[in-house]
Amino acid sequence: MKFTFKGGIHPFEGKELTMDKDVIEYMPKGDMVYPLSQHIGAPATALVKKGDRVLVGQLIAEASGFVSANIHSSVSGTVKAVEPRLTSSGSKVNSIIVENDGLFESVEFIPNAKPIEELTKEEILDAIKKAGIVGMGGAGFPTHVKLSPKEPDKIDTIIVNASECEPYLTSDYRRLMDEADKVIEGLRLVISMFEGAKGIIAVEDNKPKAIKLLKDKLVGDKDIVVNSMKTKYPEGAERQLIYANTGRYINSKMLPADVGCIVHNVDTVYAICEAVREGRPLIDRLVTVSGDAVENPCNINTRMGTNYKELVEAAGGFKNDPEKIIAGGPMMGKAIYTLDIPATKSSSAILCMTKDEVSEYEPSNCIRCGRCIDVCPGRVMPSTLMDLVERNDIDGFLKYNGMECCECGCCSYVCPAKRHLTQAIAGTRKEVLASRKK
Amino acid sequence: MEELNLKVSASPHVRDKDTTSDIMFDVILALVPATAFGVYQFGSKAAILILACILGAVLSEYLYQKFIMHKKSTIGDFSAALTGLLLALNLPPTLPVWMGVLGSVFAIIVVKQLFGGLGQNFMNPALAARCFLLLSFTKPMTTFVYDGVTSATPLAVLKAGGEVSLQNMFMGYTGGTIGEVSTAALLIGAIYLLIRKVISPKIPLIYIGTFAACIAIYAATKNYDVLDFTLAHLCGGGLMLGAWFMATDYVTSPITSKGKIIFGIILGLLTFVLRIFGSSAEGVSYAIIISNLFVPLIEKVTVPKGFGAGADISKEHKKEKKDSKKASDKEESKVEAEEDKEEVKAKMDGKGIAKAIAAIFVITAVMGAALGLVYSITKKPIEEANLKAKEAAYAEVFPNIKEVIPISEDENFYKEITAVVQNAGYESVTVDEVNLVANTDGNLNGAIIIVTTSDGYAGDIQLVVGIDMECNIKGISFLSISETVGLGMEAQNEEFLSQFYGKGFVEFEYSKSGAVDENEVDALSGATITTSAVVEAVNAAIYTFLTMFYKGV
Repeated sequence: MKFTFKGGIHPFEGKELTMDKDVIEYMPKGDMVYPLSQHIGAPATALVKKGDRVLVGQLIAEASGFVSANIHSSVSGTVKAVEPRLTSSGSKVNSIIVENDGLFESVEFIPNAKPIEELTKEEILDAIKKAGIVGMGGAGFPTHVKLSPKEPDKIDTIIVNASECEPYLTSDYRRLMDEADKVIEGLRLVISMFEGAKGIIAVEDNKPKAIKLLKDKLVGDKDIVVNSMKTKYPEGAERQLIYANTGRYINSKMLPADVGCIVHNVDTVYAICEAVREGRPLIDRLVTVSGDAVENPCNINTRMGTNYKELVEAAGGFKNDPEKIIAGGPMMGKAIYTLDIPATKSSSAILCMTKDEVSEYEPSNCIRCGRCIDVCPGRVMPSTLMDLVERNDIDGFLKYNGMECCECGCCSYVCPAKRHLTQAIAGTRKEVLASRKK
Repeated sequence: MEELNLKVSASPHVRDKDTTSDIMFDVILALVPATAFGVYQFGSKAAILILACILGAVLSEYLYQKFIMHKKSTIGDFSAALTGLLLALNLPPTLPVWMGVLGSVFAIIVVKQLFGGLGQNFMNPALAARCFLLLSFTKPMTTFVYDGVTSATPLAVLKAGGEVSLQNMFMGYTGGTIGEVSTAALLIGAIYLLIRKVISPKIPLIYIGTFAACIAIYAATKNYDVLDFTLAHLCGGGLMLGAWFMATDYVTSPITSKGKIIFGIILGLLTFVLRIFGSSAEGVSYAIIISNLFVPLIEKVTVPKGFGAGADISKEHKKEKKDSKKASDKEESKVEAEEDKEEVKAKMDGKGIAKAIAAIFVITAVMGAALGLVYSITKKPIEEANLKAKEAAYAEVFPNIKEVIPISEDENFYKEITAVVQNAGYESVTVDEVNLVANTDGNLNGAIIIVTTSDGYAGDIQLVVGIDMECNIKGISFLSISETVGLGMEAQNEEFLSQFYGKGFVEFEYSKSGAVDENEVDALSGATITTSAVVEAVNAAIYTFLTMFYKGV
């Protein structure tokens, strides 16, 4: 049986470029940049000032509220400045800049080997909060907030999102293959926080080795099942993932916890294990550096704050001139105009393409083929929504369920007239959300 | 690292390879078998007409965009070429080329460009143009030549009660428009489109299914051979061409999934009604362009609800919690995720569907009541009008009438006479009334006989026949006739009718090559079926007269 949902597309996967290569451990050389806002919520408050010496793992910025996250240094060196720097979001964010001394002197991490039964919920949550863990799939929602739902008794399912449906990205896959035990341990820790909860590890079936590995390790396990998902983008979209694995629906106004689910990315669960068991804060993550412009596409274990330029060089530099560089996956990532930006907690990939497929096509009239509707996992009518957007009809946009769009990009991908559907809809969604906040 | 020259744009950064022109080209490719068969069947005339239509369409789009709209030309997307080709496939091969070109220009300029070009037209351009030509040039548009002989299309033959060869219809060895004749060639194209995923099978299958079901039920009530009759209707009259290639036209069909189902059902019903009760034997073109008009409405009521619509923060989970124990069992018993989806969907949609059905019932009831009211109010005036029409017809068929005396007003009496007449070979004629006529001098002068034939091209024809005591036809008039304008309707012409006058004691026959013998009449051109029906009805009237007043002759 296959776990899936209605809609979705099958773009070129490009995963074979990196999926079977060993992870490169990269030690950064240049200055490190730590944006104070690498997560959803209030920016962290800097605890260091210019001239301070910092060590690997030292807390340099503190969560400034409940929905916020700690930030730690990933190198040893001297604080050079606290000033706004460009990030992959395209805007400048106040950041701590550390001059890397290349010594990697570290603070001491205190392991905790207590059996799971003896760990209290508070202990685990505290370790996660201290480590500054946020959702590493892209959104960057602070994990300790996610793990403190309003009604904890309701939670009965913890899903590890290992579908990794974005083309080219293989960092989650590498994590599963190399550190399966820690991922499983991280999931067990989360399950232990909610009485009666079960775990699901959801993997797309284009990763049979990972599925086999996990199943072998979990033979006879009562708490955790491995679900093989149909390979399709966006199988890993949170709402669709929950539906595919549990049959429960949530709409855009609901949270997974409303239907008793919590969804975590693979790397997040791994980080939880590291934080609780090793006492290690979140200072590194896997980043896929790939694309046809890169000499040696691979996964790099990257210390947060490392400049993208260094990462591309670590992957052998460019073999061809790139025409487009994407921070993240090709479906939902952001195109960037410079490599001079730092890796953050939600940096999943750097893709360097020699050809920009988007600019090859000129948008033309909609021929009403309905493909956008067929593929839409949010079950809306993208072509109609774009019409409404062009007419600036916000009421119509809301009436036609515009807010149920998850901006996955399937509609723009399939459109034979090459219309920029996702862009139009996403832009209007942002406007609506902004006007609601007022 | 040197300066990078990068492009930026909003996500997604990859695109599917399929473009609009790829899709249009695929449809053209899918039409190649049908086109090739049409050319093979009907010769170079068909080929020239096809080329002229395509050229006409492409050129008119190019010129309109260049010189009137001053816009970039879109002929490169092949949509204009496709429209021209589809139009040509819907034309009889003998149509004068200039008419075909006129149709192409109408399709592109009036139906497509005036409404905003590709994607904006509300009717299928090719079919709208076909209907335009059908109304403007009825005769050349409905004359079909097969093997050098003008002949009725298989469906027209079927409608007239004749027999057709299913095998010939499936392969395409019949008369018809260039592209509609070969069901086999059209199906090859349809399969290609399905494999390439250019069209979804939803609309054609539901269209054909609905239509077949209606036709089968109709055939059963008429005691026809259900299977043969249904298959002939499926193969004939451009249904396959319409269902697979024109009802699936993206622009003029609903984009929602449920909308496609509704659209297919409407198409099936309309085609059935137009074919069986309408004046033409085909009906597909009209069914499609009328259904096209419903598309915006259909889409409005079938807007998808959005992922997770109806899910509620408080309700949803309580329900799930209850089920959660079962759910874990479920997972082990490997129940398909799909099934769950259907369940939840059914729960969610139940209310909405019930509401819609209720609304439809209310509307139908109100409409029914309104119709009933109108009927009861107009019943009397209608009867009076009918009587007047009858009297007018009497005056027309018999001069100097003083009194008309019905021989009987008993229905059973006429049933018996009808049985006698039908036994004599006039199988489709019923005798409605026999009246004696007294003239102004008070003498018995003859009879007026009203007969109905069910053999008309478009339904029943009711005739009033005046016959004098010497058995000579005095006059013929029609109480009801609804044949094709310009063809069958010409039967009302005095020129045609006068061929019967003054003659009697004969069995009339019709001739297509000019009447020679006394009992022959010239057939109406292009309306052989009507002619045959009228001749039979007149013969039946004479037979009735002779049986009743010249018994034993």
